[in-house]
Amino acid sequence: MVDHGDEDCIRCQRSFAEMCSEMVIRDFMTKDLVTISENDSIDQILETFDKYHFHTYPVVNEDNVLVGTIDRDIILKILLVHRAPRIEHTHLNAVVFQGDTAKAIMLSHPVSISPDEHLCDAVDMMLKHKIDRFCIVDDGKLVGIICKPDIIKEVYKLRGSD
Amino acid sequence: MEVLLHILLILLLAKLFGEIFERAGFPSILGELLSGMVLGTLLIHQGSEILKFLAEMGAIFLLFTAGYKEVHLRDLKESSAKASVATVVQIFVAFSFGAALGAYFHLSVLESVFIGVAFSPTSIGVVVRTLIDMDYLSSKPGSMMLTSSIFDDIIGIFLLSIVVTMATYEHFPSGVQVLIILLKMVAFVAIMFFLRKWVFSRLFDQIHKMHVKESIFAFVIVIALFSAYLAEVFGLHAVIGAFIGGVMLSDVPHAKIEHVQSKVTGIAYGIFVPIFFAFIGISLNIASLQTIGLFSILVVVLALSGKLIGGFLGGRLIGFDNYDSLIFGVGVMPRAGVELVLISIGKEMGIIGDEVFSAIVLMVAVSILVSPVLLKKAIQFKNRANSNNT
Repeated sequence: MVDHGDEDCIRCQRSFAEMCSEMVIRDFMTKDLVTISENDSIDQILETFDKYHFHTYPVVNEDNVLVGTIDRDIILKILLVHRAPRIEHTHLNAVVFQGDTAKAIMLSHPVSISPDEHLCDAVDMMLKHKIDRFCIVDDGKLVGIICKPDIIKEVYKLRGSD
Repeated sequence: MEVLLHILLILLLAKLFGEIFERAGFPSILGELLSGMVLGTLLIHQGSEILKFLAEMGAIFLLFTAGYKEVHLRDLKESSAKASVATVVQIFVAFSFGAALGAYFHLSVLESVFIGVAFSPTSIGVVVRTLIDMDYLSSKPGSMMLTSSIFDDIIGIFLLSIVVTMATYEHFPSGVQVLIILLKMVAFVAIMFFLRKWVFSRLFDQIHKMHVKESIFAFVIVIALFSAYLAEVFGLHAVIGAFIGGVMLSDVPHAKIEHVQSKVTGIAYGIFVPIFFAFIGISLNIASLQTIGLFSILVVVLALSGKLIGGFLGGRLIGFDNYDSLIFGVGVMPRAGVELVLISIGKEMGIIGDEVFSAIVLMVAVSILVSPVLLKKAIQFKNRANSNNT
């Protein structure tokens, strides 16, 4: 267990930049994850979206390897398929529209980071490339997720102790 | 700086006419072609070198984005043998119709083969709306169309590379020369696969950490241009390299960040691709369409019927009933972007003349207009037959 009292004492003597570049994602990523299995049907996926209210869900295979993500935009596209503008009538979208499992509709190239990535590096990437969340992958397996609100919370805490 | 005015007018009219066609329920490509025809008649009688270069960039970006955004190696790996059979049959019939047409009109062997190649691709985007509206996207023929259209483009592009190399030999290549062409293609694809497996992912892992502005976007464009250039070094055409380069980047996570994708699409469809389509309109020789009426009509009829008959036969071969085979055949009829890239290369290399070029542009326009209507009729035909039987 980390002794937060000691940690705060250490922090108070160091600059924000130093602490930020030393803190690793592993320490504040969300580990209790809601995931979608790559073989889940569309109905199962819709149930998940109805039950929880996250924007994006990681998709994993039976070995818990991250294989993709499904977000609200994809679900909206599928639900409103008849209203899709012509610009959306691409081959890839057509494949998504006709898909019946998570594997067929997911975004199969999610950007992931390591749990040992530093907080500052993750923040840099989020800001530079307008990414809202990262799946955290260790040795191919999904171990967590981190979103902008988690990062803001941590940075705010750090700033507070600056 | 007359060229600035030309580019400005091309982009303005291409988008305005494109919007009119979109609102009328047709793809914007027709408006973009029309904008070129209007400007070609009224103002731009001879496209400048700068405009020609921008149009070539348009063809490169059109095929690069097709590979980068529309093809997934995973989907290709999982495509069934059934789809390959149906695809090969419909391409073979369409190709034969094109080549036979050229032979009938006593065109050179190269030009006849090129017409055959130009008959091969399919643009599925044209009929996706109809498939959605008729609730047929997930049907057997619907799925087959999707898979087949991707194979069509890939096979069409490889056939193009053979014809392009044939054109450089200026005669029908011998067995050894064909072997050399194939070896060059294999070597190019092997290098691109090597780069994909060992270089691209690692490269982007570093690029995303760079401090300069737009590093990922810039490197995606660098890879597009590098692939196009490398293909030229191997004696293939730049657009072939761009397409394969796009496919190789299609599953590199950092290169596929949404934000980066939208910029690549922006530079392609916001600037270069409309100029490419408009340039085809500018290059269109309307006079040649009028003088060789029969040839143009036969190009339209044979290009469409080649796909229809080939698709029908392919469908029957893989076990579809008559109705589903007909739907599949109609669904693979439309042509658009890749087709136009092929013929613009053919014209640029002097393989095809104005007559063939104009006739194929006409065929593309007709296929875009009639395919959705015919597909709807084919599906209604099946539905009526089913309801009569029950």
